Order: sequence, then structure tokens, then C-alpha cells
Amino acid sequence: MNPEPAAAHTPSAEACESCALFRASQLKKLGVILEDWDHVIALAGNPNVGKSTVFNSLTGLRQHTGNWPGKTVTRAEGGFEYGGSRYKIVDLPGTYSLLSTSVDEEVARDFILFGQPDVTVVVADASRLERNLNLVLQILEITDRVVLCLNLMDEARRRGLELDARRLARDLGVPVVPAAARQREGIPELLAAISDVAEGRAICRPHRLRTESPVLSRAVTGLEEKVRAALPDLPNPRWVALRLLDGDERIAEALRSGELARLGSASASRAAASSAPGEMPEDGRETTREEGSA
Amino acid sequence: MTDSPQSPSLASSASPALESLLDEARSLRWEVGTSFHEELIEAIYTDAARIADRAVRRPDRKPRFDIDRSIDRLLTSRLWGFPAMFLLFTLIFWITISGSNIPSGWLSYVLVDRLTPLLRSAADALSFPWWLRGFLVDGMYLATAWVVSVMLPPMAIFFPLFTLLEDFGYLPRVAFNLDRLFRKAGAHGKQALSMMMGYGCNAAGVVSTRIIDSPRERLIAIITNNFSLCNGRWPTQILIASLFIGSLVPAYIAGVVSALAVVGVVMLGVFLTFAVSWFLSRTVLRGEVSTFSLELPPYRPPRILQTIYTSLIDRTLIVLWRAVVFALPAGAVIWLISNIPIGGTSIAGHLVGILDPVGLLIGLNGVILLAYIVAIPANEIVIPTILMFTVLITGAQGVGAGAGVMFETDSETTLRSIFQSGGWTVLTAVNLMLFSLVHNPCSTTIYTIYKETGSWRWTAVATLLPVGMGVALTFFVTQVWRLAAGF
Amino acid sequence: MPDPLVALLVGGGVLLCGILCIWPRGGILGLRRRLRRLSTRVLVEDALKHIADLEIKNQNASAQTVAGVLQISDGRTARLLADMEQRSLVSFHEGRLRLTSKGREYALHIIRTHRLYERYLADVTGLSHSEWHRRAEAIEHRLSPRETEALSLRLGHPTHDPHGDPIPTAAGEIGPQQGQPLTSLPVDQPARIVHLEDEPETSYAQLIAESLWPGMEVWVLERDPQRIRFLAGGEEHVLAPSLADSITVEPIAEEQARGPRCEPRLSSLKPGQKGIVCGLSLACRGNERRRLLDLGFVPSTPIQVEMVSPAGDPTAYLVRGTLIALRREQADLIHVRPAPETAEQTAAAAGTGDGTGPEASGAR
Ligand SMILES: Nc1nc2c(ncn2[C@@H]2O[C@H](COP(=O)(O)OP(=O)(O)OP(=O)(O)O)[C@@H](O)[C@H]2O)c(=O)[nH]1
Ligand SMILES: [Mg+2]
Repeated sequence: MNPEPAAAHTPSAEACESCALFRASQLKKLGVILEDWDHVIALAGNPNVGKSTVFNSLTGLRQHTGNWPGKTVTRAEGGFEYGGSRYKIVDLPGTYSLLSTSVDEEVARDFILFGQPDVTVVVADASRLERNLNLVLQILEITDRVVLCLNLMDEARRRGLELDARRLARDLGVPVVPAAARQREGIPELLAAISDVAEGRAICRPHRLRTESPVLSRAVTGLEEKVRAALPDLPNPRWVALRLLDGDERIAEALRSGELARLGSASASRAAASSAPGEMPEDGRETTREEGSA
Repeated sequence: MTDSPQSPSLASSASPALESLLDEARSLRWEVGTSFHEELIEAIYTDAARIADRAVRRPDRKPRFDIDRSIDRLLTSRLWGFPAMFLLFTLIFWITISGSNIPSGWLSYVLVDRLTPLLRSAADALSFPWWLRGFLVDGMYLATAWVVSVMLPPMAIFFPLFTLLEDFGYLPRVAFNLDRLFRKAGAHGKQALSMMMGYGCNAAGVVSTRIIDSPRERLIAIITNNFSLCNGRWPTQILIASLFIGSLVPAYIAGVVSALAVVGVVMLGVFLTFAVSWFLSRTVLRGEVSTFSLELPPYRPPRILQTIYTSLIDRTLIVLWRAVVFALPAGAVIWLISNIPIGGTSIAGHLVGILDPVGLLIGLNGVILLAYIVAIPANEIVIPTILMFTVLITGAQGVGAGAGVMFETDSETTLRSIFQSGGWTVLTAVNLMLFSLVHNPCSTTIYTIYKETGSWRWTAVATLLPVGMGVALTFFVTQVWRLAAGF
Repeated sequence: MPDPLVALLVGGGVLLCGILCIWPRGGILGLRRRLRRLSTRVLVEDALKHIADLEIKNQNASAQTVAGVLQISDGRTARLLADMEQRSLVSFHEGRLRLTSKGREYALHIIRTHRLYERYLADVTGLSHSEWHRRAEAIEHRLSPRETEALSLRLGHPTHDPHGDPIPTAAGEIGPQQGQPLTSLPVDQPARIVHLEDEPETSYAQLIAESLWPGMEVWVLERDPQRIRFLAGGEEHVLAPSLADSITVEPIAEEQARGPRCEPRLSSLKPGQKGIVCGLSLACRGNERRRLLDLGFVPSTPIQVEMVSPAGDPTAYLVRGTLIALRREQADLIHVRPAPETAEQTAAAAGTGDGTGPEASGAR
């Protein structure tokens, strides 16, 4: 295992080695036992980046893995207990973007959009960061509660790449955890990050896309206002506006059928139930932790 | 399938506010133009590149040697691409065949030779009535023991080997090599991937066709998946090949020849996949080939011990469990219909009598056909069922402890002599191998096909087409063989 | 046991019958399809469409042209037209076949449905262009005006079909077809393709094989009675004038034109060569376009040809650190320009190599 777990969010106060061990001992793999859970976690990401491997190391299940894109084509669920909370985690098929063109991608996209996960863990290939960020940035448009797991760090190292996870975390505004799931490296840190976001201890200020052309941004802003007016509870009106402008029929359909409205009110009530995170810090996009938690 | 525009809901119950929102979006779409999506994706990639640039430091030195490309250069080369593919698969089958003989013998020695008499005497000691002893020990237990001893070793060798190949990253290269052929057949290159998943289990293969994005080509892949031998059929192929084909040649090359026979059947399956795809895409599933894009992942050194462990635990044992679950009731049924007489002959005897003429016409026999009917739920139990019925019909004594009892299969010679007493020739063996490749999918697969296609019509096509083809194939092989042999 | 020879003959006969039954043409399946096509309603609608088509082009339809297009006998055509006249869909005016206003409305509905559906197939499904026409021909007889309206709504009320033909509005108006034939375009005058005639099928297939597409810029280089040489989509094309006539273009101002820039296609690069993506061809639409963009084929992406399948077709390209295999048809849709060779790019593109010490950054 890496002697210095390179987790961007790791509090500096604790000695890393012991805390990793300590955390690992807190993990209880629950396999498929899923009676009542406190949080739902979705595992999203490009194909073949190790989502199922991460899933297996968290749940102790043996979801099939294989070195080719498209190994997982259906949803798999499992559970684990960590820090006193029970989590249901959902392994999804890989997808290049949120615009699906095949059935397996539809499964992934529908869960990310409409499955209401409390935390979306995006697994990315550390040695092909740029390509993987395409999906990461799209997901950041939809939801705030994201943890980025930079998997395959061993391969990135072998290729001589050096990754600055802290920098990335600051740029993206979400926790970033380097990992090598096959070697179980970084899993304790990932768990900590998931629970921080799920329990509201870490607040994300995700990176939002900027559109260059004035015509576009005027159109987007105008439509966003309309969406906000029509569905005040929706957490991501800007994204819905973008999708509508892009002619995404699935979203238009979800609007018509009231699916989106239901999602909006569900997330509103959830926000009310969990302790309100208070004012967001103005300056940095850096993730913050409330003192004294953990 | 794609024919109906899924009539967008005009009559939806959306509120006027939402409708006006959607209208607004529509007119704005006109304004921003058709390139909106493109500009968006470009903006995302620009952002991504900027962020990645800040976070990643690349090495200054140029890499001296790129091992991935070197392997690719060999495995996808013009000259070596196809031979390497052929050699790799032959090697896997050869290792499986020659490696599973010995453990198979051990297992049957322990489970069948040693444990069965013990269980029988235990049942006697507990003073079970004869029918209960027969039902439990000679039916259920023996069927299971047989399935375990004949299936466990080949599976325990084949699956880890295949998984190693999969983890290494070779499968997408196969799709890459074969895409041209698939395209000529009007199919999608990723069908190669679902085909290879079918080599494990056809139901899994059918589900894995989800990665194919065009509905037409996905349907083709679903219908033809049955031509990939699944784990229920590997043991049949391997056993019959080593018993009948391997024994035609001197012992020192028997292993290689049997492996080649199995490879031959696999190749025939691949050929039929192409042929049926071609046929479908020119008749009922007419249409143009659509787009194809495939990511070729980097090669990753497989973790050998872990792979062996997990594929033993997962795939092998799960498959075995499934076989056992089906073998238990099947063993009971077989024992029952072999031992309940109607007018002096058992039910099984009557059924075999009815099926025999058809069976003989296609170079098989009534016993084999009956076994295939009994084994619709699981292909795994075909061979045990055939063995048991053969003994019943021929009344072969000395090999088992009585009619309708699964018997000790301690050595290949005994097995072969049982088959020969059932009137088997090399022709029967060849036809059995062919029919095992080309017949209806098992019930689980049929149900999966229904779930994935949502149509009884396509499910029926996928079920009946291979049966029809199998009957035709074995029929012509038999008649031509007999014509050539001159009787 | 029957004699094998007899058995073979009987078996062969049975097999032959089976194959004959399901053979696409001439078999039972094909027969059913043809019967459906020959139903009177379909014939009426096809005849209306044909007459309206000629009227739009200011040409005259006659019983002969109708019979020719529908491929039915003259007698049947006469009966059909009489029936249509009785239903006051057409009228014979001074010996010429004309549509009545009712007939025109009907015909425009069919044309509207056809073109909208082609548009749907092009933009929403990933079906290839050679499928559009055939499928639209079948669907145009099945959709009700209400369903057609819903389709139009869903597509955002498009004005042109993928070949550049105007789509009639629901009110029954049809915009004029602008432009002039390519053959009348002066040399060195930049223009844009606005329409490709999709009938007859063979000449359309030829245009598609040349990868010509509405929206493309063209520059005529040279013209003589035998052939016309022009630049389009960054490539040089040579066509016979009769074929070039089915291309309609609209001149554009010089400053609007991007210039006769040559943009080779990705498929023209040899293994080992590098390029930079400049964009996707207009022929690449719908899902296919989205998929390629998602895979990273966006403008200004460096790209390198890595290897060709032993069977000769899909080729693997290195794009943003990942190998992606594409068939030739798709590689045809991606335009590239030659890449400046720099050491940095090679390093970035190759991406693999020996490790240089463990990853140390990012830790606290
Ligand atoms: N070297 C290395 N390999 C890994 C690591 N994590 C996963 N892998 C390998 O990467 C391959 C893909 O892993 P999967 O877990 O199947 O990937 P996935 O994201 O679930 O893929 P899809 O289901 O196809 O989307 C497998 O061969 C794993 O063994 C890692 O941290 N290091
Ligand atoms: Mg997976």
C-alpha cells in the first residue's frame, strides 16, 4: 500500500497510516444484505475504469470484472456499513457521457439522473484524466454530491504521470481520492470521502461549465430562469435548461410526465431533513469540512 | 423496432406552464442552431483539457518502449493476427482436455465407486424401502455425483484460463480482428464480445448484447448467441471428442486431435453465427450495417492466483451448483420413468421407442433425443441422462448395478463400451457433437431472450431456428455419411 | 432405415421448399410485402405524391408517368385514376392530370410525413442514409395527421428533410426549392449544396458514395460537356453533368466561404501518421455524431493511426490516450489536418512507458 495515502480531503491532524487502518476497521461489508440503508451511493464512470472492482472491495461481493469496456451491462447492488451508517451502493454500466446510445448506457444514465443517489462516486482512469473528465464535468452539472475516485493510479505511475489530486479537488470543487482498487489502495480514503459527503460534513462547490458564445449563454440563462420558475424545487435548473436546448427528449419527457418535478420535491425535502449546511464559503471552491466531525 | 416514432405524447397531461416552457425551449433551439450540442461538448473538452493540464505532470522523457503496442503489433498483425487467435483457443482447449482427464477419474472413483456402495449400504442399514433407496441413491445422488465428476475438472481449468485471457485484454482484440467478417454478415463487431460471453453462459451472452447500440444488430446477436457453446455443452463436446475422436488416432496425439475436434465444432459455431447473421440481415432483419466504435483497453497483466481463485469460486462453483440443482430432480425423474412400467415396459422405454425412428434418421437415437427433452432446463445433464437411459434400454449389465441406475464410470473404456452397447458409432458421436452445438437454447436462456427482446415472436425464432437447423444438419451429415460408406 | 439416396433427395426437396418460401424476393415473405404495397390506398397515395412532386417542379403528370412510377399496368392505372377522379382527388384538365385542392392537401400530408420521417431517421436513430427512403416510403402511408404533427413537434418543427427538400407545413404550404443546379454554377464561385435529388436511387447512391451532403461548400474548378470537376468537403470530385444536375446549390458570398481548403479524411491517413481533427462531416448525424464526439473526436484533438485489423477494416486510432477502433465509413466522416510533428505531442500521444518513481503529489 502507498505509504502516503494521497487523499485530498484527508485532515492533516491525523497520522495517515493509523487513520487508514482505523477506517478500514470501521468498514463492514454487507454483501447483498440490504434491509434499511441510510444512504444510496451510485458508482458511475467511463467503461473499464474499475467501477466493479471498487464495488467489490467495498461490498465484498464478486461482481464480474474484466479488462474490456462493457463487462457490466446491468445494475448491481450491494451494501456496506461504515462509521455507523448503512450504505447501499449501486454498480452501474460504464458510459462515455450522459447521452446514451445503447441499452447499457441507458441503465447507467437513468440511475444517475432519476435514481436519486445521495452520493455519486465517479470512478475515473487516472492515466487518461482528460478523457474521463468529460463525464465528470457532465455529472457535476447535475448534482453537487460527487466524489471523484481517481482509480488505476498504479498504471498512471507506471506511465510516469504525476497527479496533483489536491489541485484537481480545488478545480472541480469536489473531494478527489486517488486509488488503485485492485490493490485495495485508497479504499479507506474513499470511504471517508463518501461518508463525509453523505453526512453533509464536506460541502461541494462543483465546477460549472462556462459557455463561450454570448448567444448560447443568453439562451441558457433565459431558459434557466423559466425552468426555475416552473419547478422551483429543482436542484439543477441550469442543467435542465442545457438538456432542453440540446433537444434531449428523455428530459422533455421527464418534465412532461412530472418525473422531474417529483425528483425536485424529493431532493428539497431531503435537504430540509439533513442539517442545512449553512452559508457556502465565498472565495474558494475548496471542499470544506465542519470542525469536530469525523 | 425503430419503425415507430414512439408517438410523442401530444395528449400528455403536462401543465400549461410546462408546455410553454417546452415551447420556449423549442424555439430557442432554433435560434442557437444545430451546432449547440457540438459547442457544448467542445466547451466541456476544453474545460477538461485545462483542468487535466493543471493536475497532471507528464514525464519529460519520451517512453523508450511501448509494450502495449508491441503486443498489439503481433496479435493484430496481418500475418499473425488470425493464426494467433486460433492457436490461443486451441491451446486453451488442449490444456482443458488433457488436464481434466486425471482429476475426472479421481472424482468419479471417490464419488461414484467408493461413496455409492457406502450410501447404498447405509440406506439398507436404515432399512429404506427399495424404491426410496433407488430414488435417492441411484437416482438423485448418482446423477449429481456424475455431473460433478464430469463437469468440475473441465470447468475448473477452462474458466480460469478464459478469465486470464479476458483480464489480459485480449477479447476486444478478437472483436477488432473479426469486425470485418461480422460486417459482411450484416452484423456488429461487438457481437464477437457477446459471443465470447456466450462461451460461458448463453443467458449472460444474451444480456451482454446490450453494448450493441443498433436494435437490429442487437437482435441478430441475441438470436445467434446460441451458436456459442456454453458451459453446459463444453463437457459433452470434450467427453465425446476424447472418447470417440481421440481414440481413432494413436494415444500420443489423442489429446491434440480431440482438442482440434472441439475447436472444429467451435469454428462451425462461429461459421453458423456468420451464416445465420447474414441470412437474417437479408430477410427478416433487413437493413444496413450501422456504426461501430470500440475502445481497445490497454493490456493489463492478469493477477493469476486471484483470477484462479475467483473463477473457481464464482464461475465454476456457481455453474456446478446450477448443474446440481437441475441434476437432482432430473435424476429422480429419470429413475422414476425408467422404473415405472406400463404394460411390461417402462415409460422411458415407450418414449425411446417412439423417438427412435426420428433419432436414427438424423444419426442419433431415441435415447439421445429423449435426453435432450429431459435436459431442456439445463444442458449440463444431457450426458448423464443419455448414459442412464442407454443402460436401461440395452440392459447392459456389469457396468451398473441394475437397470435405470447410474453406474460407475471409472474409466474411459467402460464408458465407451456402454455407448457401443447402445449401438453408437463414430457417426453417432459426430452427430451428437453437432446436435449439442445446434439445438434449442436452455430454458433460462429462452426466458432471458424474452426479457431482453420483449417479444414472443423473436423468442420463438431464437428457439426454433436452431432446432430446425440442428435436425437438418445432422440429417444431411448422416445420409451423406451413409451414402459414402456404401450402406 | 431408408435408403440414404432417397432420404437425401427427399430431405433436399423439403429444404429447398422451405428456402423458397422465405426467400426475400419471390418467396412468401416477399410476396406479402409486395401485396401490401399494391393495396389500393397505397397506390392512390403514391400516385398523389408523384403528381404533386411534378407540380412542384412545374412539370406535368400523365397516366404514363403514373404507371411508370407505380410499376403497374396501363389498365390498372386507368382504373386507379378514374377512381381518384371520382373521389375528387384529381381532375383531368385539358387532357392534363391535375390535383384538386383536396388532392393536394392529401398529397402534401404524405410528402410531409415522408420528409419528417426521413428527418427523424437521420437525426434521432443511427440508421444509415440508404435506409431512410425505404423506411419512410413505408411509414408515410401509416401515420395519421395527428401523429405526423406529434413527430414534427418532437423534432422541433424542422423545415427541410436531410436531403435538403423543404418539408410542407401542416397548413399545406411548401417553401420553394431555392438554388440552381451545380452544372450552372460559374467557375470559382463559392456555393453551398442545398439539395440532393434522392430519386432515382442509383444516382443518389452515387452521390452518397462521393460523400456529398447538403450544407457542404462547393467550388467548381473546371467544366466541360463531359464532366464537371469541383471541390467539396475538402476533396476533389469529378462527375458527369447528368449526375451533377441532381445537385442543387446556392451561391454564397466569398467572405462567408471557408475557402477551398483541403481537409483530408481520417481514413486517408496511413498507420503511424498523425493528424488533428478539424471536424465531423455533415453526413454524420444523430447518435453516430454524438458517439464520436463522446469518444473524443472533437476539433483540435491530436490523433494518430495506430493499427489496422488483420481483416483490413476497422482501424484503431489513438485519441486522447485511448485506442478507439472505427470502421472505414466512420473514419470517412472525420476531417483532419496534418499535425505539426513535435516531440511533446509524441510523448503525449504515446502515453506509455517506464515508470519514473511513485506518485508523490497530492498527499498532505
Ligand atoms: N492495474 C490496475 N488494474 C485495475 C485496477 N482497478 C481495476 N483494474 C482492472 O481493470 C479492469 C476493469 O475493471 P472493471 O472493474 O471490470 O471495470 P468497470 O469500470 O466495472 O468496467 P465496465 O463494467 O465495463 O464499465 C479489470 O481487468 C480490473 O482488474 C487498478 O487499480 N489497477
Ligand atoms: Mg463493471
